[in-house]
Amino acid sequence: MLKFKLNPLTRKKLERFRSNRRGFISLIVFCVLSILALGAELWVSNRALIVSYEGELYFPTYGDQYSGTDFGEDYSFEANYRDLAQKWEEEGSENWVLLPLVPYGPNESDFKDGLYPPFKPSFAESHFLGTDKTARDVLARLVYGFRIVLYFSAGYVSLVYLIGVGIGCSMGYFGGKFDLIGQRLIEIWSNIPFLYVVIIVASVTTPDFWKLLLIVVAFSWTGMTFYMRSGAYKEKARDYVAAAEALGAGNARIIFKHVLPNSLSTLVTFIPFTVAAAITGLTALDFLNFGLPVPTPSWGELLKQGTTNLHAPWIVLSTFSAMVTILLLVTFIGEAVREAFDPKKFTLYQ
Amino acid sequence: MDTAEISALSVRNLRAGFATKDGVIVAVDDVSFDVPKGKTLGLVGESGCGKSVTALSIMRLLPNPTGRIISGTIEHHGNNLVDLSIDEMRKVRGAQIGMVFQEPMTALNPVHRIGQQLSECFFLHFPNITKKEAWDRSIEALKRVGIPAPETRVTEYPHQLSGGMRQRVVIAMALACDPGVLICDEPTTALDVTIQAQILDLIGQLQADLGMSVVMITHDLGVIAETCDEVVVMYAGRVAEKGTVFDIFEKPQHLYTTGLLSSIPKLESPGKERLSTIPGMVPSLADMPMGARFAPRSGHPKIGEYLESAAFKEERPELAEVAPGHWVEDCEYVRVFG
Amino acid sequence: MSEKLLDVKDLKVHFPLRSGLFSRTVKHCKAVDGVSLSLKKGETFGLVGESGCGKSTLGKTICRLIQPTAGEIHFQGANIAGYDRKQMRPIRRDVQMVFQDPAESLNARHTVREILEEPFIIHGIGDASARRKKVDALLDRVGLGKQAAGKYSFEFSGGQRQRIGIARAIALEPKLIICDEPVSALDVSVQSQILNLLMELQKDMGLTYLFIAHDLAVVKVISDRIGVMYLGKMVEVADGAEIFKNPIHEYTKALISAIPVPNPRAEKNRVMLRGDVPSPIDPPPGCAFARRSPIKVSEEIASQPGDYVEVSPGHWVEMHPATVADYDSYAASS
Repeated sequence: MLKFKLNPLTRKKLERFRSNRRGFISLIVFCVLSILALGAELWVSNRALIVSYEGELYFPTYGDQYSGTDFGEDYSFEANYRDLAQKWEEEGSENWVLLPLVPYGPNESDFKDGLYPPFKPSFAESHFLGTDKTARDVLARLVYGFRIVLYFSAGYVSLVYLIGVGIGCSMGYFGGKFDLIGQRLIEIWSNIPFLYVVIIVASVTTPDFWKLLLIVVAFSWTGMTFYMRSGAYKEKARDYVAAAEALGAGNARIIFKHVLPNSLSTLVTFIPFTVAAAITGLTALDFLNFGLPVPTPSWGELLKQGTTNLHAPWIVLSTFSAMVTILLLVTFIGEAVREAFDPKKFTLYQ
Repeated sequence: MDTAEISALSVRNLRAGFATKDGVIVAVDDVSFDVPKGKTLGLVGESGCGKSVTALSIMRLLPNPTGRIISGTIEHHGNNLVDLSIDEMRKVRGAQIGMVFQEPMTALNPVHRIGQQLSECFFLHFPNITKKEAWDRSIEALKRVGIPAPETRVTEYPHQLSGGMRQRVVIAMALACDPGVLICDEPTTALDVTIQAQILDLIGQLQADLGMSVVMITHDLGVIAETCDEVVVMYAGRVAEKGTVFDIFEKPQHLYTTGLLSSIPKLESPGKERLSTIPGMVPSLADMPMGARFAPRSGHPKIGEYLESAAFKEERPELAEVAPGHWVEDCEYVRVFG
Repeated sequence: MSEKLLDVKDLKVHFPLRSGLFSRTVKHCKAVDGVSLSLKKGETFGLVGESGCGKSTLGKTICRLIQPTAGEIHFQGANIAGYDRKQMRPIRRDVQMVFQDPAESLNARHTVREILEEPFIIHGIGDASARRKKVDALLDRVGLGKQAAGKYSFEFSGGQRQRIGIARAIALEPKLIICDEPVSALDVSVQSQILNLLMELQKDMGLTYLFIAHDLAVVKVISDRIGVMYLGKMVEVADGAEIFKNPIHEYTKALISAIPVPNPRAEKNRVMLRGDVPSPIDPPPGCAFARRSPIKVSEEIASQPGDYVEVSPGHWVEMHPATVADYDSYAASS
C-alpha cells in the first residue's frame, strides 16, 4: 500500500500558495498554455488531423509522412492538406480533410501571387495574427517558439540547479580550503564576459539547441552556488546534524538526508525567477542573432522582425504581448511561491 | 478604600488575544491585579500562560494588526490606558511606564551608539532639550545603572558590550525619564546566574532610590521570592492565585502553585531522588475549557466527576478571597485539599 | 571501586581566529584549556559554569563532534582523541548526546519514526519490521506512546520533543550519554519530568551521564559529582553534597550564593563578583578568576597560575591566593 503523507509544513505551504489567488490562477493559466504548446501539432500545423480518402482514415499529425501520390495527386513530396481540402470540397467528393484550427506550420511560407508579405491578420485565411515578412504564420511561430522556450527553460533550470546545488552544497558542507579555492575559481569564472563567448562560439559553429543551452548554463550556475553554499553552511552548524554525526552517520547520509532537504526548500522559491531568466535570456540571444539557427521559430527573431517592420505592427504587438503575458504569469507564480515559503505577516508596533 | 491612592497601576478584567484565521485566540482571559505604589508585583507562570501578553497589553505594544485588547481596563494615574490614542500612549510610555525586555540585544538598535539611543528617549519626552544636554543626561543615566566609565560607553555600539552591560543599558533607557512604573519582562532569563544577581540587585536598589513600582514578569520562582512583595500566579491565561509573597510561598492554596513549588529542584535536597512533577501538559490556547483550566492536571481525588460535569464545560470559576488580600480560583477541585 | 568509563586528561580545545588578507591565525579562543576529569561507570558527573566557560565545547569534544587540540580522551581504556571517522563508528554506539534545544536537534523534515530509525539504519541493525518494533518500544520507554511515530517533531511541545531526543540517544543502548543543557529550554514543571525520566533510564540501563547545565540546582538533583568550570578550566570538583556544604573556590561560592532561593524569608548573603566574565579569546595569563574574585590580589600574583590540589578525598580545587579564602592555611597543611 502506498501511503503518501505530506509533511504538514509542506502542506501548509501548498495551502498558502493556493490561497494566493493571483499566483494560483497564474499557475493554472501557465500550465494550460504549456499544455497547449506541447500539443501544438493538434491545433497549429500544416498537417491535417484526419484525412478520409477512399473510405480509409489517415492521421498525418503524428507518425508517417504521406506524399501527394498517396491521395491521388501527381506530386511525390508531402501532401498539401490545405489544397486537398479545398480541391475535394470544390469537387464535392466523398473524401474529406479535418484541418487544425491554424492550418499552417511554423516554417511554412504562405505566399500569395502578386503580393508582398507580411500579410495582415485575416480570419478568412486563418492567419489570426497575420504573417511575418516571409509569409510565415505569426501565431504558429509564436506557439512553436514558446514550446522551444519551455524546453529551454526546463533544461536550463534543471542544469543550473544540478550544478549549482551540487557544487554549492559541497563547498558549504566541506568548507575549508576546498570552499576557499572553489569560491575564488567561481569568482574568476563569473567575470568572463558571457556575450563575447557566445559571439565567438556562434562565429565558429552554428549553435544548436543543446550547445546554446550548455553555453548559457555554463555562465548561469554560479549564482545558485552562493545561495546553496550559505544554506549548507548554516544547516551544517545546526544541532540535528551534530546529532546525526554523533550517531555515526557518514557524509553522504548527512548531506542527502539532512543538509540538502533542509536547505533546498529556500531554493525552490527561485525556480520561477530562474524560468523567467531563461525566457528572457533565450529571447535576447535570438534577438541579437546569436541564438538558435534559422528557421527555428523563436520569439527573439519575431521581435527583431517586428521592430524592423513597424509598418506591420501585428508582428511586434503580438510577440510583445505574448512575452509580457508569460513573464507576468511567471512572476506572479514566483511571488506566490515566495510568500508561501515566507509568510512574514505585516506586523508593526504603534 | 480608594484603590487609586495605593496602587500605581490597576488592571481590571483584562482580556487580550490574537486574531488568527480560525478566530480570536484569547491569551489573557479576565485578569485583574493591582500594582501597589513603590512595591514589586510578580507575574509568574510557565510559557504560554499569558504573562508577557499582559505586560505588552499594559504598554499597548501588542503586535499590530493581529494582537488586540478585547476588553477590560488598565488604570494608571486616573487614565484608562486602553482608551488612550496612540499619540497619548506614546507620552505614557517611557515617561510614566518603562519597560525592560528579556533579550537586551534585540531591544537595542545595533547600528546606533548607546548614547544616541539614550538621547532619543530624552528628545521624545523633552522636545526642548539640546543635544548636549541629552548627551550629558545619557551619561548620567548610565552612571545610575552602575556602568563603569559611562563617558566612553556612550560612544560604543551595543555589540561591544557584554550581556549584563547591555541589560543595564536597557534598564537605563527604561528609567531615563523617571517613570513611576517599571515593567520587567524576564529581565534576567538571558543572563548568567552571577550577572542575574547583579541585575536583580540593581533593580531593587533603583526601586528603593526612585520609589518606583515594579512589575516583575518571570518563570523563576526564586526570582519572585527574592524580589517581589505581591505575586500573581498565572495559568493558561488566567489568574490561579494571587496574594503577598508570603501567602504564595508559605500558604499556597492552588494546586498549580503547590505543584510549581514542589517541582523546583532545591539546593537543600539530598540529590539523586525523584522530583515531584505536575502530570500532563498545559492545554492548547486554541481549545480551552471554560471551567478551571488546571483541573485535568490537578490530581485531586475527585477530579473525574468535575471533568465530566457541566460546570467544567460552562462555568468560569471566580476568585475567592481566602484571607485578606489572598485570592484563589474558586473551584474546590484545583484548591489544596486535606 | 568501580571501573573508569571515561578519563579525560589535560584536554585542550583552541579555536584559531583568523583575520587579515591571508587568513593568518592571529588569536586563539581557548574554549577548553586543560581540563581533566574522569567518570566512573553508572555515575552522573554534573558540569556547571556560565555561558562561554567551555562546558558545551567540552561535552561536544568528548563526543568527538569537535576536534581536540591537545590532550587525551580515554573511553573504556582506549584513547579516542585521535580517532578518525571510521575508527569512531563503533564508539558512536556507546557515546551519545542529548542536546539543549530539542527543536534544533530534530530534523523538522523527518517524522519521529524516521528520526528514531536513523541510529539503527546507520549501524545496520535489524530489518524494517524489527526496526519498527524497536522504535515503538523506544517511544513507550520515554513515555510518548506508539501513536507519536507518524508525527513530526514540531507537532510536539518542548518537553515531548526532548523525550524524542532522549529516545534517539538511548536507541543504541549506549554506555555514556552527554546531556548538554537538556532542560534549560523547558518550563519548571516539564523540567522535573525530564529529569525524572533521565534518572529512571540511568537506573534501568546502567547509563553514565555527563550532565552539563548552568543551573546549579538542576545539577545538584541529578549528579553524584559536580565540576565547576570557569573560562575553560575546571576550578573545583567534588561530590554533590560536599560542594554545596563546603565550597572552597570563591567562584563556586559566588555561583551558589547567586541562585535565587524560592523562599521569601531566605537570607541573602551574596558573594558579589567584580565585572563580567572575560572573553576566552586570549584570556589573561595566570589565574583566570583572580581579576574578578572578591579577594583582591596584586596583578603579579594574579598572573601566577594556580595549582590543582586535592583538599580532601575526591575534592579538587584550583588553589590560588585569589580563589581560596584561607589559602595560607591550605598551603601550610599541604
